[in-house]
Order: sequence, then C-alpha cells, then structure tokens
Amino acid sequence: MSEEKIEYQKPLPDFRPETKPFWDGTKQHKLLLPKCKETGKVFFYPRAISPFPESVNRDFEWVESTGKGKVWTYSVHYMGPTRAYKGEVYVVALIELHDGVKMMSNIVECDPESVTIGMEVEVVFEDATEEVTFAKFKPVK
Amino acid sequence: MGTQIPNVDDTRELLKKNQIGIVGIGETEQGKIPGKSSFDFLSHASKLAIEDAGILKSDVDGIITAFSLVEETFMHCTTFADYIGINPKYFESIAIGGATAVWMTAAAAMAINSGQAEVVLCARGDNTLSGISSAGMIALIREMCHGEFEYPFGLTTPGGYALLAQRYLYETKGKREHLHSVAVTMRQHAKLKENAMNKDDLSLDDILNTRLLASPLTKYDCSIVTDGGAAFIVTTKAKAKELGIKRDPVYLHGMGQGFSHQYLTSCADLNQIYGAIETSGEKAFKTAGMTNQNVDVTFLYDCFTITTLLELEGLGIVPRGHAGAAALEGRLHKDADIPLNTHGGLLSQAHLGAMHHVVEAVLQLRGEAGERQVKSPSTALVHGNGGIVSAHSTILLGNEPLS
Repeated sequence: MSEEKIEYQKPLPDFRPETKPFWDGTKQHKLLLPKCKETGKVFFYPRAISPFPESVNRDFEWVESTGKGKVWTYSVHYMGPTRAYKGEVYVVALIELHDGVKMMSNIVECDPESVTIGMEVEVVFEDATEEVTFAKFKPVK
Repeated sequence: MGTQIPNVDDTRELLKKNQIGIVGIGETEQGKIPGKSSFDFLSHASKLAIEDAGILKSDVDGIITAFSLVEETFMHCTTFADYIGINPKYFESIAIGGATAVWMTAAAAMAINSGQAEVVLCARGDNTLSGISSAGMIALIREMCHGEFEYPFGLTTPGGYALLAQRYLYETKGKREHLHSVAVTMRQHAKLKENAMNKDDLSLDDILNTRLLASPLTKYDCSIVTDGGAAFIVTTKAKAKELGIKRDPVYLHGMGQGFSHQYLTSCADLNQIYGAIETSGEKAFKTAGMTNQNVDVTFLYDCFTITTLLELEGLGIVPRGHAGAAALEGRLHKDADIPLNTHGGLLSQAHLGAMHHVVEAVLQLRGEAGERQVKSPSTALVHGNGGIVSAHSTILLGNEPLS
C-alpha cells in the first residue's frame, strides 16, 4: 500500500465532461489546448463549441502547448476563498501563453511579491489528487 | 414604415410619447440588521416606494425583482408577488448581478411601452450581511468565475477585480492612490447620507497603511456588505396624473447594455471592457439625444474602486487613463466637476446592487438630496456592472420629459 497522503483541502475543479482530454493531459504532465478544426485556431477554456464568432464547430483536436508565456496580470492574495488557504500568500495570475490564449493559474516557485506583469513564465505540473493535476507556472530562470 | 428594423430612434419616440419615469422611491435602513429575511426587506422597501408615490398597492400591475444571495428561489418575482399580495399582469426576475437595478428601470419601460403593464414596482432586498457575512462575499467569486479553470487557483472576489486593477495601473502608469481616492470620496459622501453604514473618517493614509487583501486592493477598495432593501416605481406621466400622483416623475431618457466576458480568462484586454461600457453608454446617450459631457450627476457601479475608474473612462466622461488622476484630484466629490455617487455608493453607504444609485439619482433630480444636493442637476447617468466588469447597463434620467 502506498503511503497515506494528506488530503487535498483546496477547491477542486468542477468538471464538465467535455473537458476530459485537458485533464487527462495534465495528469500526464502535458498542457493540451483545444483547437477548432474549422478555424484552425486554439482557444481556452475548453468547451463543447468553438468560441470564435465565425464558427459553430464542435470538432476539436488537442494540441500540446509550448507551456511558455508571460504574466498579463496578477494579484498577490493575502486571503483565500476558503479555510484551506489560511496563512498562505499566493499569486493568482492571468498568463498569456505564446500559443495565443490566456489561462488563469498560480505563479509558483518564487517569492510572490517578486512577480511582475510581463514576466516570462513556464508551465509546471502539480499533482493535487489521484484525479487532478494542475498546470501552474514558474518564472523562467 | 412597417418594414423598418426598430432602433434607438424608435425607443426615443416611445419614451417621448409615453413619458415614462420613476414616481416613487423607498429605501429601508441599511447595515447590520439581524433577524429579518430578504422578503422582509423587499416588502418594506416596496411599502415605502408605494407610499412615496402616494398610490395603493393594488395600483401596481407589474413587478420586477432580482434575486437573493441568501434565500434562493426558483421564481423570485412571483414568489414576491405572492408574498406582498399583488396580482401582476407583468412579472420578471432580473439576474445580471450589479447590472440588475439599472436594467430594472429599462425593463419596466419596455413592459410599459409594449402595453404589458402600467405601474411597475422594481424592488430588491436582501439580508446579505446577516445571512452570508463578508467572508461569504469574498468567496462569492465561486458564482462568478469559472468553477473548473479559475476557482481552483484560489481566486477571491476582491482578487478578480485586483487582477484588472493591477493591469490598469500598469497600462496607465497609475498608482495605488488613484484607486484609493475613490474610496475616500465615497466615504465623504456617505457621511451625509442618513442610512449609510460606514461614516467613520477615512483618509488616503489610512488606506495606504492598511494591509493588502489582494494586491493592489485593500479592504477599503471593496464594497461593504449590508442588509437592507430599496425599491422604485415606474409608470407614465399620464398614468401618474390619473392616479393623482402630485410630484413630477423623474423621466427615463435612454438605456443600453454592453457585454465583455463572463470569465476573466475570456477577457482579451482592457479595451474589450472599455468597449462593453462604451456600447452600453452609447446606446443610452443616442436614445436620449445627448452626449457624455451633458451629465450633471453620475452614478457608477463602485463594487470595487477599480470599476469606477474603468467606467468613467469607458463612458468617455474622462479620457482613457485619466480617471485615477481625476479621483485623486477630488473631482468626483459632490461639489466638484464630476459629482459621483453622492450617497456614498457601494463602498460606504450600502450594497444592494445599484438600487441606491437609482434612488439617489431620483432624489438628486427631484432636488431632495439635502446636504448632498448637487446644484440644480437636470440629467443623471446610472451605470451598473455585473460579474467582474462583465455585463453592463446604463440609464439616463432627467427631470423634464424627453423632448
């Protein structure tokens, strides 16, 4: 039997079935983005219909992201949404991936107060539970 | 011209013809008021609005309500109709967050213009502070952000706005003082409003010396959480006369909506937000046949200090990137050139969406705002936003019928 892990206390994603390939990807430490087969453009967040104005396509392929981008904006959180964050200072950011989409995530592996807009970041994977691995970002050294 | 597609000119003609306006207002006490339900506040505010108009409850034939954050109901408007004892010909619950109260006025006008109702009661009330608490509101983001791709990263309600505030300061080369000044001015106004919850002195230094909640925002950049109710009644000038209402209505001159995004992930840049605000305002201005420089008193959705700055710029009341400096220079004070939220807004008076913004606009245009009265205003703008500066609605009000 594996060692007993401390249970993950923070909010977990509210899955919609159509996003399964994304979460299957992060579990394998791959950042996959849905690509609309009609417009040929990637988008985020994953959903069951193309978000582009010109398309109602529901056919997608999943392409691997470069995993690199820069911080579009950020906020150092000194108070979290639930008790699980008590005493923690962390960075919530919107990251502009070089693939051309924005993602919300945390900037980790650095002093929260050192994060700046425009900072180059790259993806790191955090296994939260058996089911869920988050794509987070750290500054490019 | 039966084949013409309806546009704002048609709305303008309808508003001119029907002379639709607000004839009654009511607001209960605001603050920490335990032991009262959301429907208690809703019905109390409605009673005050009905009495202010000087009509009977049975004269009301339309009901527009919103929602309760505490007491979830499947059909809010009809639940309230049953509770208060009104049998409406027209009923609607509007749930577009902070854009709701502003749009109630527009929806009431549309119902009247299409012959669905003649006297529409718009009401909202909630026991948010006693029922959910401030901590609950910080976590309310769960209802506004993406439950799968945003919330698991620990985003809070202030945090959502902080993300935009940080970007705003970056793009405008602004400073924290630009945001905080809005809170200082709102506090100065709240001191003059009888039912305002927060009236203690508040200086820029007080805010700079308090801890950050979500950078660059402190608790003073966040709206307060309160219990209370507010209501208003919309009808036509002719119907008001028929009902023997003595006071002149405050007339609706224009309305508009604009949408940017629901999730911040879908927000390409600040221009997308400015565009949504502009779209909302432009439709209202076009309907009213006026420009953004003709507004005498302005009511903007100040759920967080940043929203006020984005709205001032999006509506074109000040040029892009200049709202922060305007706030710091004190130009949003009731005696300055852009009198804003003379009741103290969501930051210091009470938080019930923009209900109190509408009520205060009516008081200002009636000339009944007491110590807060702006010098003889003839037009007011009220703008609401729901979500994280996502969904916008604007109305323009005047103390004379649209001509």
